[in-house]
Amino acid sequence: MVDYFFLVLSVMTVGAAIIALESRELVYGAISLVVSLLGIAGLFILLDATFLAMLQILVFVGAVSVLIIFVVMLVRREKWVSVPSGYGRVAGLLVSILLIAGVGYLAMNSGIATMFPSSNSVPSYVDIGIKVLSDYWFPLQILGLVLASAVIGALTLAKFEGAEQ
Amino acid sequence: MDTFEEFLKRVITIAFWLLLLGPVIVLPIILLVLPQFGVPVEVANRFLIALINPLGMLQFIDSLGLGPSSLFFKIAAFPGFTFAALFATLVILYERKLLAKMQNRVGPLYAGRFEGILQPIAELFKLIFKELLTPEKADKPFFWAVPFLAIAVGGAFLALIPLSPEIYIAKSEIGLVIIFAILSFTPLIVLTAGWASANKFSFIGGLRALHQLVSYEIPLILSTIGVVMLSGSLDLMKIVQAQASMWFILPQFIGAAVFFVTMLAELERIPFDLPEADSELVAGWYTEYSGMHFGALQLANYIKLYGFSVLFTLLFLGGWNGPAILPPLAWLFMKLFIVISFILVIRGTNTRIRIDQLIKLGWVYLIPLAFANIFIALAVASLGIV
Repeated sequence: MVDYFFLVLSVMTVGAAIIALESRELVYGAISLVVSLLGIAGLFILLDATFLAMLQILVFVGAVSVLIIFVVMLVRREKWVSVPSGYGRVAGLLVSILLIAGVGYLAMNSGIATMFPSSNSVPSYVDIGIKVLSDYWFPLQILGLVLASAVIGALTLAKFEGAEQ
Repeated sequence: MDTFEEFLKRVITIAFWLLLLGPVIVLPIILLVLPQFGVPVEVANRFLIALINPLGMLQFIDSLGLGPSSLFFKIAAFPGFTFAALFATLVILYERKLLAKMQNRVGPLYAGRFEGILQPIAELFKLIFKELLTPEKADKPFFWAVPFLAIAVGGAFLALIPLSPEIYIAKSEIGLVIIFAILSFTPLIVLTAGWASANKFSFIGGLRALHQLVSYEIPLILSTIGVVMLSGSLDLMKIVQAQASMWFILPQFIGAAVFFVTMLAELERIPFDLPEADSELVAGWYTEYSGMHFGALQLANYIKLYGFSVLFTLLFLGGWNGPAILPPLAWLFMKLFIVISFILVIRGTNTRIRIDQLIKLGWVYLIPLAFANIFIALAVASLGIV
């Protein structure tokens, strides 16, 4: 049963991602991006990580993709068809192969051999919270600083835009 | 021209004759034909007995796994969809009568003998028989998908809201997070509806709804953090249990106020009904929807109103807690009645605010208030009051 779900979700995720890249109509591309992100949330649920799945929906479907669709809908009259040069295409291919190989290598060596949990105790959201606030407090601070600097940068750009007009 | 009552009378008469004549013609056919196809005679007999005897019918349904204790019944009927839809129609009637009384009108009066009590059913029939129009330039798949998606989000929202310790559909350790995750689909649906209609009123309404929903989602989530901190759980059952001695509206008054205001904005009700501003945008993002499409969107909206009111009751008003002279469900519905009346009274007494006031209220006042509320919760929890 789980295998079938996994198959359906994988096809949904990868297929929708391909449509998102290849679709001529930008809005359809954006919507299929949402479908792809939902597929990833489903994969999280299969891994017993319901909390992460819900955060995935909350952040990526509820916020990020809405902003993407918003931007895409505002510019729908124009056609953005850019043909990359041969050099750029080869470079893109190389970078993506390297990326996939690196992530695959890390995943193979991380000790995750099966999608079934080794023990019966699935870490709950309480454990995640305790870990984030005790062991991983430093990355949390860094993340906060990065987000704050991004917000300040966006505000600065918006202010400059207004000043020129 | 006949009245709605005469129409109902005719429908009931036709149904009566069908029910009377149907068995006389259909039963012998079933008895003769079914054994020919290898159906055991006992099953056919049980079905036929069940048709005549209501109690036997109940047992037959139970034996199919569709009885009152089954998951299907819960989802489809009692705490789930049918109940919420009926409740929503009652709320529509109550809203129209209450607003009429507040504005010195009579409101619906003619359908049904008493005070227009059948008006929602009359309107349901009207909507069902109306033609479904699709604009020529609309994006048809998305245009047709939106009402179904809206109903689906409303139904999924309902599934996670318990009504009493026994009456619930699904319970989860992280129920509150799942509810917010489901609600975060709303801006996507609204924006798609506005875009797919290929109408400028719809699109402007969709953009306004997007601004409103995205900026009010943040205070909505932040205002519940205080409750989660005080009860130490994201499970709605445990949150209600934690309020046995004191309702969270007392230590969390600011949080409750912020939640109530953002709730009005999420439901797109006056004073935050800019997305559907009827005097300037026709009907906002659902301008192009007609017939039962419109009905489905309205139903989804009122189901969400019901869900949000129950959620407010569970989070801040102690849910089904109360003296044991009444059953838990009665306490819940009394509180629910008060919350819904409050929402409707606000609709009757306020005007629509401007979009800049809306955005300013959200980002400048509600979010800092929600943060202040979190610190109050921290102080209350560390002093050990709750």
